[in-house]
Amino acid sequence: MSKSTILSGTDLSKKYGDLEVVKGVSLAVNEGEFVCLVGKSGCGKTTLLSLLSGLEKPTKGKVTLDGREITASSEDELALFRRENVGFIFQSFNLIPTLSAWENVALPLFPIKMTNEERRRRATELLGKMELGHRIEHLPLALSGGEKQRVAIARALVNNPRIIFADEPTGNLDSSTGETIMGILNRLHRDEGVAILMVTHEDELAKTANRLIRMKDGEIMS
Amino acid sequence: MNLRYMAKELYYQKRRTLMSILGLSIGIALLIILNALSLAYREAARVPLKEIGADITVQRSGDVPRELAGVVFPCSAVTIRKEEVEKIEKLPGVRGIGTGLLLWVFDPNRAWIVLGIEKENSIGPSLLRSSVTEGRFLEDGKPEALVEVAYARQFGISLNDTISVADKKFPVVGFVDASRAPKIAVANLYLPLKEAEDLAASSKELQSVSPYAPGDVNLLFIKADQEKITGLASEMKGILGSKATVATPDSFLKLLGSLFALSDKFTLAASLIAIIVAVLIVFKTMAGNISERAREIGVLKAVGWTNRNVVSQLMSESVIQCFMAGILGLLIALVASFGLSFMKVNIPIPWEMSPTPHFLPGGGDQVFKTLRLPVHIPWTLASFAVLLSIIIGGMTGGLLGRHISRIKPSEVLRHE
Repeated sequence: MSKSTILSGTDLSKKYGDLEVVKGVSLAVNEGEFVCLVGKSGCGKTTLLSLLSGLEKPTKGKVTLDGREITASSEDELALFRRENVGFIFQSFNLIPTLSAWENVALPLFPIKMTNEERRRRATELLGKMELGHRIEHLPLALSGGEKQRVAIARALVNNPRIIFADEPTGNLDSSTGETIMGILNRLHRDEGVAILMVTHEDELAKTANRLIRMKDGEIMS
Repeated sequence: MNLRYMAKELYYQKRRTLMSILGLSIGIALLIILNALSLAYREAARVPLKEIGADITVQRSGDVPRELAGVVFPCSAVTIRKEEVEKIEKLPGVRGIGTGLLLWVFDPNRAWIVLGIEKENSIGPSLLRSSVTEGRFLEDGKPEALVEVAYARQFGISLNDTISVADKKFPVVGFVDASRAPKIAVANLYLPLKEAEDLAASSKELQSVSPYAPGDVNLLFIKADQEKITGLASEMKGILGSKATVATPDSFLKLLGSLFALSDKFTLAASLIAIIVAVLIVFKTMAGNISERAREIGVLKAVGWTNRNVVSQLMSESVIQCFMAGILGLLIALVASFGLSFMKVNIPIPWEMSPTPHFLPGGGDQVFKTLRLPVHIPWTLASFAVLLSIIIGGMTGGLLGRHISRIKPSEVLRHE
């Protein structure tokens, strides 16, 4: 593994019963790199993202994230590792409906010992960067789709991650809002140097990435 | 555990929160009310004895006098020997004894129910001192009498009159209001114990039915350690024989005939059912709530919450809800117990303890002590109920939290 590799998956397979969803995939993401995983629905790209981010354990193979083999870690070790090193952006935002925008952003910080003022300060700063400074006290219900996704991006950034995993981040948005979100992700990668591994089925979106990996039937095609 | 998150979850999910709180609070309120009622009946059953400053009363039944003339014992209260009293006094758990001598006196033109009483004793009929409505209480060493006020009115007896009882003269020094006096050991005429002993000792009719010597009595009022009352009652029966009538709070409780009064097991079973139903409601509501939040739990785990973080968050929510349910249940119970405290309860006084001969007017009537049910919630019961709510909250939240925390984030987040 080279010095600049932040994430690598080696010979990863995942079976659900007899169905092998990911078949012996190996890939690496370098620091500050924006990689897009493209493929049709059901080709195994979301499963691969789950394996690489430690949300799921592979049936075979190993994942090394920031120099640490995470496939051998316990569930709680993985959770702690994700809290400190990884950010997630989901297609359907996955905001907690009872928490305000800033509280959703601060969600990964809740289990960490720090003052509420500090949590709020960090969350508010990030929401400001997402141009949501005027919406910090609003509940998700009061936010538009694009605003929700920007809150979700802020949440993914609140722990200063080395890498962000994004699963169809524009899937639930109209094209114009989707472009805005992609703009934010590109800016993050460019200005903050955060590595991004994004799953999408839209070739158009993938064009903005440094590297594009195509998947078909659980295997990497190119 | 994050308090802000917990508070918002409970606040914004009002329906769920209210369902859990209401379900458990009704169960807790029922638990408190059932136990408070049971305690109230127990306390009510103590009242007839408490009024006379005793925990146990003892008398012994005997034969009916052959002729109702002169001084006789009621058949329900014949001689208890001085030695027997001394034996009872020495029983472990007996804290004090009051004595009385109850006589029926049939004079040619009037019948008296006479009670010989000790002048100074915090146990037994000496407590009548507080029921004197006119005149004064008996003084030491003087042959004088107190007359029951209604009886005095009926027979035109005035204060300072001299009355003749079995050919002995007694000045009337005061009137006693029987309606304010204890229902046990009531009489028309109250004499110093010594004077009543003399009347009994000199009665041939009485001696022929139940041999009597001065110092013997026929009524005992016993103060005892609460936890030893039942044991003492059977020991006293052992000393006095099978004809002894030993009245305890338990015997009054049985006479009350209430389900609460009859059986601790009923209260326990009803309380348990109330709590089990409440727990099931809480469990079902919270299980529904938690399963609805599976995706949310998945998000928490994805962003780095450990299983322990998730369990403690859910547990704290559950504990707070159940604590609030406990407080609400307590408030409901307080209001209900206030309402129930207006309920009247009639405690029947056993015929053996009613001094009026059945052949006299009103003698055959059942005597009741009527009082308001003394319902109150002891702080121990209140604390137990609130503590139980917290434990239920902790266990429910812990169990459900542990179950849901095992969820794999990828399972709930993958299907968009």
